[in-house]
Amino acid sequence: MRLNELQLAELASELDQVKAGVMSQLGDKEARYIRRMLLTQRLSAISGRILMVLGFLTPWLWVLGVALLALAKILDNMEIGHNVLHGQYDWMNDPVLHSQRFEWDIACDAGSWKRTHNFEHHTYTNIIGKDRDFGYGLLRLSNDFRWRLRNLWQFVTYLVLSTLFQWGVSYHELAGERVFFGKKKPDRINSVSHSDLKKAFFGKGARQLFKDYVFFPLIAGPMWLWVLAGNLLANIIRNLWTSTVIFCGHFTADVHTFTQQQCEGESRGHWYYRQILGSSNFTGPRWFHILTGHLSCQIEHHLFPDMPALHYLTVAPQVQAIAKKYGIAYNSGSFLRQYATVVGRIIRYSFPGGKATAA
Amino acid sequence: MCFQDLEVEFYLFLVYNCALKISGRTSVNKTISLWGQSLYRQFSLMLANQPKLSYYLHPLLRWNKPGVHPDYHSARIVDFRWETDQMLSVWLEPAASWSGFTAGQHLLVTMMHQGRYISRSFSISSSAALFTQQKQIRISCRIQPQGEFTQALAAGIAALPHLSISDAMGDFVLEPKANSALEQSIVMVAAGSGITPLWSMLSSLRCWTSPIVLFYCVKTAVQAAFLTELNQLAAKQPLFKVQLIETAMTGRLNLVQRLQTHTNFSLQKALYYFCGPEAMSRQFIDDLIQQGVSATAIHTELFGLARGGSEGPVKQALMIQQGKVISVDVAAGVPLLQAAEQQGLSPRFGCRIGVCYQCVCQKKSGQVLNLRTGQISGDGPEQIQLCISAAHSDLQIEL
Repeated sequence: MRLNELQLAELASELDQVKAGVMSQLGDKEARYIRRMLLTQRLSAISGRILMVLGFLTPWLWVLGVALLALAKILDNMEIGHNVLHGQYDWMNDPVLHSQRFEWDIACDAGSWKRTHNFEHHTYTNIIGKDRDFGYGLLRLSNDFRWRLRNLWQFVTYLVLSTLFQWGVSYHELAGERVFFGKKKPDRINSVSHSDLKKAFFGKGARQLFKDYVFFPLIAGPMWLWVLAGNLLANIIRNLWTSTVIFCGHFTADVHTFTQQQCEGESRGHWYYRQILGSSNFTGPRWFHILTGHLSCQIEHHLFPDMPALHYLTVAPQVQAIAKKYGIAYNSGSFLRQYATVVGRIIRYSFPGGKATAA
Repeated sequence: MCFQDLEVEFYLFLVYNCALKISGRTSVNKTISLWGQSLYRQFSLMLANQPKLSYYLHPLLRWNKPGVHPDYHSARIVDFRWETDQMLSVWLEPAASWSGFTAGQHLLVTMMHQGRYISRSFSISSSAALFTQQKQIRISCRIQPQGEFTQALAAGIAALPHLSISDAMGDFVLEPKANSALEQSIVMVAAGSGITPLWSMLSSLRCWTSPIVLFYCVKTAVQAAFLTELNQLAAKQPLFKVQLIETAMTGRLNLVQRLQTHTNFSLQKALYYFCGPEAMSRQFIDDLIQQGVSATAIHTELFGLARGGSEGPVKQALMIQQGKVISVDVAAGVPLLQAAEQQGLSPRFGCRIGVCYQCVCQKKSGQVLNLRTGQISGDGPEQIQLCISAAHSDLQIEL
């Protein structure tokens, strides 16, 4: 159902009210929450790295260490990093939690992430040709894209991408800018020079590699191989988890796409409308939401990217009611159901054709 | 490529330093310390993705002290007392890392208020002896009716365990006795809470060589903090005189006129220390310079920032970009980002609607209006989004 401009304006003002209700109350509760999250992350990272070395006592300690390090990386990337980089905690005026200074435990440089994710993806969500996150230039996920032969094995491409997800994310901007391969697209304007992009990419990547595969194995002495393998495993677990969460937020069966013409000079109301249709939620217990960085509430996140994420669950019923009032589909389901439709979507569009998803 | 660049840089640096060392051109300690600093930075970036390891460890080490700011020193609140009904004195015991102060200096005090760090600068109002003997300092804060920081401090002081303090800053200190041969007299003027650094200087003085006169301007005597102590000092110390000026009764002080009534007093031979509102200091400086007083003899500390800033709708923003200062005129309601760009600057930007946080930068002083929420900020240092902030007063911004 298409909404007229008047309805869109009303939609915007209702959603603005929901947001203002939370943002005016920010204070001690949110600050305590994110600081506790930082403490948990630090404790699990440090204890994880120590337990891995203690694996010579019993391998179970090594297993526990890997799990804790993976947990630390997931918390750092999702509930802390992704949300902090959105500026959700800038109001705290804390240098450790400020979007401008924050750097995370992932191969992707924070500055590059803010340009491609915060700006490109969140501004042009699911607009084909503008939001390169829709398929990452690797996967055909709607019939807006012409079918190519390589799409035939795109499920394997997807598995590889998921396993190496942090490197995909970190290379994302350089791919878009055609830094190494391909002809530069004339319509892309970017304030960052190619040499700065390369510098950030190699600098951050090298530091991450050095830490996990040289520094910590070296100081582990005779346990170096266990530590190296444990770090690799923790990184892969984090990669698979983050990739899965993100795919469930944007590439489920009922997610809509948009054309550039639809969104030219769009109103704030239409931007909101597009965010609801371009995202999908999934349900689960509280700890599960925390592990996803509350991206289980992808719809709320896309409506209010700078609202501290712990509030997404509390505003979700209000958002759902508003969506229902305006007849906008609110895409939510269990994690397994949503993930099954993601897999279905990747496989379906491996082949030519497929139904239109443009809203 | 960065890591190769770094490596090359590293070896070049090594060779360069060896050359310098052999030719004996530079202090080796200094180069080693610079080298160590950059090595440490790279190391903590690698290990913890933070410019310093203390940022990584801060949530761990300070989990039970959330009010301690990672950039500053912790200071335990020892005691507090109301000097007048508007001025609150707080005694602090700074952590061992704090390096001390010279009487007259100020520092930035930071506290946690409703989950966020807020800061304000205060002069230290205690003597140097209190710190050397008891490891304590005192700050005295005038509680501003509109001031976020001072209001929060007054409301929370009884329950607060500690504050964060910066190193002591500023050059508003008594000159060492370079000119004592001339027997220069010293003239001090304090307006309201401007008494704090001057009282610190006076109470820190160990040996009096020159006469000091203090003009203490307050609305009414009830509002004069440290008046008893000042009178006690004047009774004990013949070289010191204090003159209370109640502006509600006698009007504003005309300094030059007042000084000229004293016989045997030469305006040109005195040293001057002013602490109060900018307008007051400016007036006194102009008058004195007209009388032939050298500008180097006059020291001022600005106090009680003029809230609301310059008159009229156009404000002035000083934008500092890599050390260069650019003055930008900002009309009311115009986003700072737009104003900066019209001036030919190109700050980082993204969505321009307050969503992506790419244009966030550090405001050093002044108040901004958030165009999306309509909120007016405090005037201390904090991070702002350029694209949705307009000037509410004159500003200083680090791009």
